[in-house]
Order: sequence, then structure tokens, then C-alpha cells
Amino acid sequence: MKKAQQEAYKRDYAQAKAEGKPFFPYAIYKDHIVAILCFAWIIGMAIWHRVEIGRPIYEATTDFVPRPEWYFFFLFELLKIFKGENFLTPVIMATFIVPNVLMALLVLTPFIDRTPERRLEKRPFAMAVAMIIFTSLAWLTYKGATSEAASGALTFEPQDDNTELAAKVIAANGCQSCHVIGAGGGNLGPNLNTIGNQKRGVQWHIDHLKAPSSKVPGSPMPPFASLSEPDLKALATVLDGLGTTYQVK
Amino acid sequence: MTTKDIGPKNPVAQVGDGVVDYVENRTGAKTGISWFLFRNVPKETSWFQTLGFAAMAVFGLQAVTGIVLAMYYKPSSDTAYQSIQHITHEVTFGWLVRGMHKWGATAMIVLVFLHMGRVFLFGSYKYPRELTWVTGSILLILTMFMGLTGYLLVWDEKAYWATVVAMNITASAPILGPYVADIMRAGPDMGPDTLSRFYSIHMLVIPGGILTFVGLHLFLVAKLGISEPPWSKRSYKARYDQEAAERAAARERVPAGRREVTADPAPQTVNAGGDQ
Repeated sequence: MKKAQQEAYKRDYAQAKAEGKPFFPYAIYKDHIVAILCFAWIIGMAIWHRVEIGRPIYEATTDFVPRPEWYFFFLFELLKIFKGENFLTPVIMATFIVPNVLMALLVLTPFIDRTPERRLEKRPFAMAVAMIIFTSLAWLTYKGATSEAASGALTFEPQDDNTELAAKVIAANGCQSCHVIGAGGGNLGPNLNTIGNQKRGVQWHIDHLKAPSSKVPGSPMPPFASLSEPDLKALATVLDGLGTTYQVK
Repeated sequence: MTTKDIGPKNPVAQVGDGVVDYVENRTGAKTGISWFLFRNVPKETSWFQTLGFAAMAVFGLQAVTGIVLAMYYKPSSDTAYQSIQHITHEVTFGWLVRGMHKWGATAMIVLVFLHMGRVFLFGSYKYPRELTWVTGSILLILTMFMGLTGYLLVWDEKAYWATVVAMNITASAPILGPYVADIMRAGPDMGPDTLSRFYSIHMLVIPGGILTFVGLHLFLVAKLGISEPPWSKRSYKARYDQEAAERAAARERVPAGRREVTADPAPQTVNAGGDQ
């Protein structure tokens, strides 16, 4: 904005202020009415929807798909779009680029749009960008809210020490929020029911679990390097045999 | 006989005035508060311009309910779940306070986003209020982190696994990601230390940040003034007058601004786009 335009705004605002009225009580009474309505809504919701508590944390849970609070649904849904299946959808878009670009855009808005014009009808570009961002966030949040929480208890056939441990590890790390294993699971990553048919070997699976992108370039899967060696080995053994040696019951 | 205004006041009022004068002399608080409360704001402010105050008020409510919850909550992986159950089922009105804190979080997120939308649509982030917007957007991000860290404290299944996934996502970010995740989790895995770390971030770090930025934000709002809706009748009239003066100046081939405009011939009869 040019110096003259800044001066013009200041003059105009001084005029508006001079013709205005004191903040107390003329503006602050509106503030209080809206704040009291918000308080009433909060208390009403607290009474209407009694807050509950979920089940305690149980490491061997096998039928739980983690979901964030509703205001993070859009990030969660982004993960389903950017699965890393090809070069157009690298997972880093969902985990890093999109959220950070949004935050940067947010903070930098006044430095990007520096024109003095404030009327909506004279800011078509700003309106278009705002509408696109708002619609996408609303749509992603809606998608996240309506996506089904899948899954049932996992048991493998035949059962042995490996499958027992693997079922725990799968539950503990929320594998089914992205992968179909058995009847249920997310559609973010590949279906694992027949993954053993690819005959990649136990060591391949261990390396892949530790650093997915080293085996599948651009893989969307977060690394699970923090798993213990026995956990990794059991999980890799079951994965390598899924569909051949092992079946999900 | 003395007249009422200059005669001795009743002793209580005298003491009161004395205290006010004492504080005013040493801090300027009276001047400051009068400046804040009685500063003029544009006449035509919109109801949409109340959302920021509402967000701040809900933050205040969150602080109060949060303090009450903290009196009963035990931030350890062995006791957190039981203490939440205790609050929900045994403490008098515990369910209400916890419910208000939970729904208050939702309300605060909604209000912060609506407030941002209002500021954007009104173009209020433009000169001279750019830095007010920056402090506001930091507040929005801090509010989201408040939600993220508060979610874990319930220490039930949903909270735990959602945070495991959130931390995995953090860890997958390039370069700094793994380190940030380790710092947040207090180690490579979620554990008892993660809970107390989130508790401390949720109770001390982010509220401190929010208070600081709310202070800055409010100061800037008060100093720069509440912006006027761009479609206010006053601004339409001012714009109309300006254009009329420019046209008149052009007619007389005098540079705009040099010609003295005494009275505008017909601003009242023309509908200048407002609903006057």
C-alpha cells in the first residue's frame, strides 16, 4: 500500500472514530450478549450430551481405530488423499507440506494482500481463495466425520506365538486405521490380507517397517522403528505369511 | 454553609478517591482504563465483530473449568483414567465441569475460526492492522495445539491411539520431524512421561502463550481501533463526497485537493449504494 493510501485510510478512520461512540457501553454490550449466548450453548451441550470416558488403554486392543477430535479430521482425511501411491500424491504433502503451507498462508495473509480495498465485491481473487480453502476444509472435515470406523477383533489361523504378538502390535500401532486386515480397516494403505503372496521375505518386512520409504519410495507410512526387535520379527513373519501360511480368521 | 460540590464528601467516598488518586499517581491505571473503556469506536459496528470477545470469554471459561478439573485430575499414567472417572461420576457437578471444558474447547475452536473469517471478509487485516492479524493467527495455532494436548489427558483408548498416530505423523516430517516427535513424547515411545509432558504443555506452556498473545492482540485492537465495516453508510458517503470533489475539481481543471469544497450539492438525494 502506498504512503498516500495509508494516510487516506488513517484520515478516513479518524473521521469514523470522531463520529463514533464510546466502546463502553455501546460496543461492549453486544460483546457480552454474544459471550453469554456462547456460555449458554456450552452449558446446554454439557448437560445435553453428557461427557463420557472411553475404555482404559489396553495394549492388546484389537478392535480400535483411532480417530482424532473433529477439528483435526481435515488433516486425517488429507492422509487418505496423499497415500504416496504415485509421484502426484506423496505422503509428505499431507503430513508436512499442506499443513505448513496453510499455516504460512494464514500468518502471511496481510503481507500477501496489501491492497487498500476492503469491499467484498472488489476483492474477487481474495474471495475465490477463501472460498476454495473454506470449502476444502469443510468437505474434508465432513468426510472425516462420516468415514466409518471399521474393524473387529483380529485372530489369525493357525495361531502361534508370532500371531499372538503380531495381533497386539497391530492393535497398539493402529495399523487398521490405514490398512484392511481381516474384515475391516482403513483404505489409506494397501490391503494386507494377501500381502504374503508377494513373497518379499521377513527381512524385507522388518526393514520396511523400520523405514517404509527405503523400500517403497515415497511411501506414506510412518516409520515404526521404535518397535522392539521381537515385535518387528513377529509382525514381519505374520505379514510375510499372510494369505499363504496365515489367514485372518 | 458550603455547597454540596465543593464541601467535604462523606468519609467513605473520600477514602475511595484517595485510593484511586494514590494508584493513579503511581501507575496511571485510571487514565489507562478510561482510555480503554471510553475510546471512541466507529458508530456502525457489526454483530459479527463480537466473535473475538466471545472467543476470549470462552478462553476465560476454559481457564476456570480447567483449574477446577486440575484440582481433581492426577497426571500419571496409573491414576489419570481413574481420576477422570472420579470427576465424571463422583465429584459434585464434576460431569458438568468436565462437559463444559470439553464443549468449551469445541466452542473456542469454532469461535476462533469464525472470528478469523469475519476479519478476512471485512478486510480488517489490512493496513494498519497487519500485526494484529499475525498475533491472531498465532492464537489460532495455539488454540489448535491446546486441543491436541488436552485430548491425551483423558488417557482413554481413543485419546491414546489418536495421539500415537499424531506423533507418528509428526515424526514423519522431514529433518526436524523425528526430533520434535521425540521431544513431544519424551522419548521414542508414548509412556508415562508423555502424559505429564502433555499436561505441562496444556496447563502451563500454551496458556502462557495464549495469555501473552491475547494481551498483545487486545492492546493492538484498542490502540488501532475496531475497524469499520467496509459497507458502512458513513464510508459510502465519504467515498461519494470524495468522488464528487474529484469530479468538481476535474470540471474546473484544478488538481483535486486544491479546490476548496464548501458544500456538496446533492449527497442526500442520491443513493450511494448504502441502504439509506
